[in-house]
Amino acid sequence: MPAGQHSPAEVGTEAGGFRVLANGAGTLKISVWGYWPPEVARAFASDGQAAAQKLMPAGTLVVDARQLKPQGTDGQEAWRRFFRGLVTVTFARAVVVGANALTRMQLARLVRESGVDDRVEFSDTELATPGA
Amino acid sequence: MGSAEEAAAKAINRFYDALEDLLRGRGTASMAEIWHHNDYVTTAHPFGNWARGWTEVWANWEEAAAVFSTYRGHDGRTDPIGGITELKVAVTGDAAYGTGVYKSTLYMSGGPLLLSANCTNIVHRIDGVWKIVHHHSDQAPPDWQGQIGKMVQAGHS
Repeated sequence: MPAGQHSPAEVGTEAGGFRVLANGAGTLKISVWGYWPPEVARAFASDGQAAAQKLMPAGTLVVDARQLKPQGTDGQEAWRRFFRGLVTVTFARAVVVGANALTRMQLARLVRESGVDDRVEFSDTELATPGA
Repeated sequence: MGSAEEAAAKAINRFYDALEDLLRGRGTASMAEIWHHNDYVTTAHPFGNWARGWTEVWANWEEAAAVFSTYRGHDGRTDPIGGITELKVAVTGDAAYGTGVYKSTLYMSGGPLLLSANCTNIVHRIDGVWKIVHHHSDQAPPDWQGQIGKMVQAGHS
């Protein structure tokens, strides 16, 4: 997880939070980490989904989940809302980068349950994200 | 083995009974029962990193239950999916630790998937009741984790 203080653009604390970063090259990068308390989960359900709705048809979504822990009920519901929101969005590619196997399995399950398993891929390593 | 050692060993064995329940899709109630629910409990699994505090620990077990809800290799199976072997327990005061080797066999569509992992469990006696406060298993080999991951993404074993 990121160390020390987070910028105002970040939500949460070192123990659990997320950061949304969009760039002019059409890449939307969302970094997520730790275990989310209910308030962070609610913020992600709102902010994450809003950011994803702005993806362009040629855009790429990168979710950096390398430091994310398996989530409880609130966190899982936030991810469901996020993934379900992708159903109506046109984009070129969506990739979840994750190292914790159990977290990856949880996200894979939620992706499948949300009906976007054919549009979201998983990667072991961080992708090159132009302009990020 | 003295009575404290026997009680501590029994608490550790109850953990593996609860794990068997979880793997067989019999729910998580027994897993919830055998843990103390406080902020110093910790766990790490063959395919996970550290979870610290009951909230995180429980999220791990719930997810493990969700992962194995797609496992169908136990249908009609009478032998245990897994179990602890070579368990050795040492007691000091109201705490005890046990070391052993967890061995399991999962029957997947591609054939048996074997796991042998060194494990450590710590149990704490509170109000006379021994329960788990720490569970650690070695990480499973990448190919084992990969097979489980495929099962999750496919939705069946």
